[in-house]
Amino acid sequence: MSERYDIAIVGSGPAGITAAINAKIRNKKIILFGYENLSNKLYLAPRIDNYVGFHGIRGKELAEKFKAHLDEMDIEITYERPDNIYAMGDYYAIMINGKLYEATALILATGIQFGKPFRGEAEFLGRGVGYCATCDAPLYKGKTVTIIGYNKESIEEANYVSELAEKVYFVPMMKEEYSLNHNIEVIQDKPVEIVGSTKVEKLVLKNSEIQSDGIFILRDSVPPDQLVPGLLVEDAHIKVNRDMETNLEGCYAAGDVTGKPYQYLKAMGEGQVAALNAVAYLERRKLNSDGVSNPTEGK
Amino acid sequence: MVMEVNQGNFNEVIKDTVPVLVDFWAPWCGPCKMLGPVLEEVAVELEGKMKVTKLNVDENQEISMEYGVSSIPTVLVFKEGALVDRFVGFMPKAAIIQKLEKHI
Repeated sequence: MSERYDIAIVGSGPAGITAAINAKIRNKKIILFGYENLSNKLYLAPRIDNYVGFHGIRGKELAEKFKAHLDEMDIEITYERPDNIYAMGDYYAIMINGKLYEATALILATGIQFGKPFRGEAEFLGRGVGYCATCDAPLYKGKTVTIIGYNKESIEEANYVSELAEKVYFVPMMKEEYSLNHNIEVIQDKPVEIVGSTKVEKLVLKNSEIQSDGIFILRDSVPPDQLVPGLLVEDAHIKVNRDMETNLEGCYAAGDVTGKPYQYLKAMGEGQVAALNAVAYLERRKLNSDGVSNPTEGK
Repeated sequence: MVMEVNQGNFNEVIKDTVPVLVDFWAPWCGPCKMLGPVLEEVAVELEGKMKVTKLNVDENQEISMEYGVSSIPTVLVFKEGALVDRFVGFMPKAAIIQKLEKHI
């Protein structure tokens, strides 16, 4: 068993780092998942005029100040991207490439996801549509599989699937170079819709169609309710209350992922509220496990 | 207790007088490993009201084919032999219980 963190924070943008700083001040054992430049959106912002106290600052400069703040507080960023997070009841299991992290509380600060699902994607999810080719490949032995790939990992997955499936089509959605096994057929076309009756039958593209038993869509970022199964999402945003609580006990969300406006200060305020409430949640649980009755618990 | 079902006893087991849940899983499936212990807890909570079983798709491909299981974990719910519900992928315990309540 891996060691269990008090709070896992997913995302190193303004919401995530503010949550991390506040949880660290409360002396909690935290793990912060994110990126070296903290947030692409922040890093690339040419000029920011509504960040109080820093009129006219460049995003890059602000990101550097944020980094210095994290360093000052000995907060490290784990440069990994969780594939799936499972609500196990008394803890969250965070899976990254087959590796497992555990945390009692969870703060989601993953930012807003761009890109809409394809028509038919939700309808056929689990009936031919999947998001993890390596997970389900053995079910497609001797069948035809199409992979819509948005990143490097999708190449590896396509190559793996091609060893099991009878026929593999690959629809590249990225610009980088890639090398695929010789038996994979590359389709340079834009997916439009997934069609079938009781299960997937074909992928309709702008200029062509592919008959396929299974379609795997391998995107860079997954919608929050795919990342955390069971999480309540409304209009593509995680549903939270004023305490930044989601529908899952011990799981909080902050920043753009909870809804508009998409602003630094809003994200940071939410990150702070989420962290403080996660700390309160840990304390409530501790009281309960010590056998002390706590009549104020719950709402 | 979560009972193992297979080609040999499947059709018999799903005819039970209480609703039967079948967890389609495989040893190589990460989310299945996480769902397993959650379903153990569900089984305890719903003891006497629902039978919780699991089926290894690697060893029982015919049944998986018959019910069109193309992603795992897939959970099917049977009432006196008839398929009444299905859900795909990991779900937290509270969500599973909520989904199952209408069949009890």
